[in-house]
Amino acid sequence: MGPKKETKEASASAKKKDAPAATTTATASAKKTTKTAGNTTTATKVVTKERKEKVKSTALKAKQRVVRGNQLTRKRKIHTKPTFRRPFTLRLQRQPKYPRRSVPKRNRLDHFAIIKYPLTTESAMKKIEDNNTLVFIVNIRANKPLIKQAVKKMYDVDAEKVNTLIRPDGEKKAYVRLKADHDALDVANRIGII
Amino acid sequence: TFNLTMTRVKCSKLRGKKPDELQKQLEELRQELNTLRVGKVTGSGGAQKLGKIRNVRKSIARVLIVTHQTTKENLRALYHGKKYKPKDLRKRKTRAIRRLMTPKENSVQLKKLQRRQWAFPQRTFAVKA
Repeated sequence: MGPKKETKEASASAKKKDAPAATTTATASAKKTTKTAGNTTTATKVVTKERKEKVKSTALKAKQRVVRGNQLTRKRKIHTKPTFRRPFTLRLQRQPKYPRRSVPKRNRLDHFAIIKYPLTTESAMKKIEDNNTLVFIVNIRANKPLIKQAVKKMYDVDAEKVNTLIRPDGEKKAYVRLKADHDALDVANRIGII
Repeated sequence: TFNLTMTRVKCSKLRGKKPDELQKQLEELRQELNTLRVGKVTGSGGAQKLGKIRNVRKSIARVLIVTHQTTKENLRALYHGKKYKPKDLRKRKTRAIRRLMTPKENSVQLKKLQRRQWAFPQRTFAVKA
């Protein structure tokens, strides 16, 4: 009788938490059956089923309580100030399911686009000789640090400082003073200004 | 006079190339454009050099076109059949059409209606000759 019941319970209840409970019921019911040896099989079956349900429900309730938290004896926060400030809550990072743009935008203001052409006017020539500076016409959307980077990338020279102005015809002129270890005249020759 | 403008960069030739090759060609073309522009300012070259500027600009455009087209093609192949695609890979049509119900959503019927249609279909009768 005993082993037969155990197998039945084991097969019927697949829940893990019932495993220890089931074994206890098995042993309990085993005891019962040993007492009532001559009893009908139907009576013992009903008992085990009821007991199983009860054990299952108590286990389930315990689990639920742990998950929910006991609402009757909840710890209440003590507010010592009259103001309530919004508490910090969890802020999740975005995990987009798809990129909005398939291809990221390409940088339209790269160093080729920044420096349009160098100036070769008389005053520009004077600057090259006297002040070690090169004069460029530059994209109007470029700023001084960008111009510095572009000059470095294109002509391989370091700029000490960049001064810019916007001409009356709408173009930006950049005076790029080179560092002392560069010679503006050499660079100009290299570029092709002369 | 002998026309010294460069050999034409053809799109069909470009499509066979690898992306890094195309990038390199793009860099070269842009450098060339830069030197041509300097030449324009310094007054060297003459008509041939000045004419070359246009060719180089259009070649750069062609390289960029081919680069972009192949990238887009590959991406479309990558996202083919996926549920969520980037918005520029979805069909464009019009804003209103995109917001319409799909044919499947339109064809959804009440269970009551389905049963009625099954139980009482449109009958056709004919008079026996």
